[in-house]
Amino acid sequence: MKRVIGRSGTKVVILVSSIFFALPLLAMMRFAFQNMGVFDLRWSNVFEKWTFGIVTQPFHDQYFTESLYLSGKIAIGTAALTLGMLIPTAIWVHLRVPKARVLVEFLTVLPYVIPAIALVAGIVVIKPHARWFLNSDLSLIPFYTVLALPFTYRAIDSGLRALDLRTLVDASRNLGAGWIRTMTRVIIPNIRSAVVSATFLTVAVALGEFTIANVLLKPTFPPFINEYRMREPRSGYALAVLSLLFTVLVFVFLSIALRSPSTKSRQTSTKSREMP
Amino acid sequence: MTSITFNGIRKTFGTTVALESLDLELQPGELVTLLGPSGCGKTTALRIAAGFEVADAGVVSLSHRDITRTPAHQRNMGMVFQSYSLFPNLTVAQNVEFGLRNRKIEKVKRLTRVGEMLELVQLDDLGKRYPHQLSGGQQQRVALARALAVQPDVLLLDEPLSALDAKVRSTLRDEIRRIQTELHITTLFVTHDQEEALAISDRIGVMSNGQLEQLGTPEDIYLRPTSPFVARFIGSINELPNANGGGQILVRPEDLRISSDEDELEMRGTTTRVTFQGPVTIISVRVDVVDLLVNVHAASGSILTHVGDRVSLAVAPGRGIVEAA
Amino acid sequence: MVSSNFPPLDNEGAVAQAAAPSQFHKRPRKNMAWFGLLPFLAFLTLFLLIPALSVFSEAVRGANGKFTLSSLREGISGQNLEAFKFSVKFSAGAALVGVVFGTLLAYAAVVTQRPKWLRSLVASFSGVAANMGGLTLAFAFVSLLGRQGVLTKLLNALGWDLYAGNFSLGEIPGLITVYSYFNIPLMVLVTIPAIDGLKSSWREACANLGGTTWTYWRRIGLPVLAPSLMGGFLLLFTNSFSAFATARVLTDNSKIVPLRIGFFLGGDLSVGEDSIGYALAAWMIIVMAICMWFYWLLRRRAEKWQS
Repeated sequence: MKRVIGRSGTKVVILVSSIFFALPLLAMMRFAFQNMGVFDLRWSNVFEKWTFGIVTQPFHDQYFTESLYLSGKIAIGTAALTLGMLIPTAIWVHLRVPKARVLVEFLTVLPYVIPAIALVAGIVVIKPHARWFLNSDLSLIPFYTVLALPFTYRAIDSGLRALDLRTLVDASRNLGAGWIRTMTRVIIPNIRSAVVSATFLTVAVALGEFTIANVLLKPTFPPFINEYRMREPRSGYALAVLSLLFTVLVFVFLSIALRSPSTKSRQTSTKSREMP
Repeated sequence: MTSITFNGIRKTFGTTVALESLDLELQPGELVTLLGPSGCGKTTALRIAAGFEVADAGVVSLSHRDITRTPAHQRNMGMVFQSYSLFPNLTVAQNVEFGLRNRKIEKVKRLTRVGEMLELVQLDDLGKRYPHQLSGGQQQRVALARALAVQPDVLLLDEPLSALDAKVRSTLRDEIRRIQTELHITTLFVTHDQEEALAISDRIGVMSNGQLEQLGTPEDIYLRPTSPFVARFIGSINELPNANGGGQILVRPEDLRISSDEDELEMRGTTTRVTFQGPVTIISVRVDVVDLLVNVHAASGSILTHVGDRVSLAVAPGRGIVEAA
Repeated sequence: MVSSNFPPLDNEGAVAQAAAPSQFHKRPRKNMAWFGLLPFLAFLTLFLLIPALSVFSEAVRGANGKFTLSSLREGISGQNLEAFKFSVKFSAGAALVGVVFGTLLAYAAVVTQRPKWLRSLVASFSGVAANMGGLTLAFAFVSLLGRQGVLTKLLNALGWDLYAGNFSLGEIPGLITVYSYFNIPLMVLVTIPAIDGLKSSWREACANLGGTTWTYWRRIGLPVLAPSLMGGFLLLFTNSFSAFATARVLTDNSKIVPLRIGFFLGGDLSVGEDSIGYALAAWMIIVMAICMWFYWLLRRRAEKWQS
């Protein structure tokens, strides 16, 4: 059959896209790792003066460790809260109140309607009434959980859909397992890949979120990178490259992990809206 | 009234040979079924007729007009797919109208024709529905109406019943046959279901490994298979060692006569199972080391044996085919 | 691990499950089962609904604490209106570019038979790049197309001064370019399943009925894809309209609504009335809600056809 774009058209599309997506990354790496002003750049010296030692420079900044530590804590907290709340809720909806399914799905996509910048506006409004809570840097955890909700719930929900949950639970209980045992030994291992990808999504949101932290002046990692880049442009860019590399590695690791034959339950996307 | 002819059609996909060298002619108004296991080349033959695949060698012609190189959309053929393949964004009526619009037929004529077609497949009042609102059987009727609306020279049916429930399947099968006879349209039908093939066809071509094994009427194919493959593929078959000359004799269960041990027919054995199925009783007899199936009709008044009885068997005169060793 | 990005909107599964009663789940407790959702609902109320409603209540609260619509009115007049117009314009532009190129790329990835890994490479890359908004992306584009950017200088050397023509990463062409970096991959993720859903037998049926390739795309292919494409447009539009981090690094342009809200909240743009920031946020939520509503409707239709 003929195709609407011929084979050459397809090639052009792929080629142009590759260039568009590669160029900004290459440019950023050049800034970070090539110790040469853009004015001095010539075709003849494109490959000269590349040094990667600069990568370690941010590690010596006092706020680097602090902000990374805070973001790490927040990421773990967000993942724990997400899994602790969503898995039981999703299972409950599937098993006991299927009628609530549409409602819950509607609620979980609400963060599309109320984006981070609008949410933080609301937080600023209630701040005077809840200083005891919002003054803590860890108060970001529930809000990050909310921001990740559309992706995380979708991941867990489709993991559960791929199972015949009711039969599985009936069989487990018929064999004498209690509810807790059924959850931990039967259901969760069967949606392992969904749980792993939901965790990845939450961690990605928590480590990359800029909007709320920026407006509320919380010293997490993303505002640190931004501020550090203004002080130390080159190593700031190096840091950005590094964190991107980290994300890609985690993603690749996950894709491989999820491809293992034992976990065939269908995966949802790891798409998220712009990590604001 | 159109005939369609395949002349020395060959088709390979990479290293796999889908069609060896197919010669087949469908007479005007005839329904020919290509029957065979999956991968035997039957679907490839149909797709070459439709113009979705181009043959590596050979000629396809419609009433002696060479169409081997004619693009699919310029061949006047109606096709029904296994997956219905109705356009989901168009209503039933619009689906049926689709081919007529491509042929630039004026609106009034188009609408009349759509009405006639929907009446033909008995779906007159569902014209405004969308495909996803119909059952599988209804969708396939629409697909049939859509294919027939353009008054094609040839109707191509690619396993049209395979996706349907058993019950719908037999009703629609009969209906396809009724419509086909009514319109007297040359039809090529592809299926892997022998019962379907036997019930619907004027002639059946049994295929295996890209070759036409036997072409003949359903009776020919069933009663007078010309090759062991055809004999084994259609119905159930017993394989007896050939006492004189080596090789095997292939015999259908209904072609074996069973009698009590005293009659001393050519083979003797022990009844191992008796399955009563209403019109027939299937008796399983162990002769030496082989189990043979024998069908006994309720009306035949033949002896009823019990498990463990000694019986003797004989091949009905003129039945069974010999397979050389 | 990448498939559709539409939030799950069908409820047929729910019906099927409800129809399978089980001796272990007794009927009388059905109504009580709703209470099991309380923790989740309470959480959402506290951390999403209350903040969202606070935005609205603050937007309609006058200086004396009384109800007034003046802030909301001001939120869509004068400079604020200009900001909304600007944001709608570049978001629509970015969404359009994303839809067109995302669909082309997805199509290219789906139809390309060899190399076999191309499709999964495109899908995986899109999974990462769609997530790549924010700081890193903005940094990357500043180093490519900023005043000191590599490409800027290269073009300069070739005799084309990008910045002579009013180019800026904070204006419409710049923003569209940068946002395309996450919009195109997002569109790829959304449309790959839709393009997969186009059955090859439709194309064959169309040819069989005398239609050309053009007929196929005009009457079948594009109409079937249309709900997905429009849904994708809305998703990309909301995605661009609400993006804060990327824009914040690229520019100080206060015509970008999220930045404008941020400036009001930070007290950088205070012009007497504090509540303007909240009014802007309220209008933003309204715009997002309208888009998402249409998105739901389109999704419904797309799912019907794909089944």
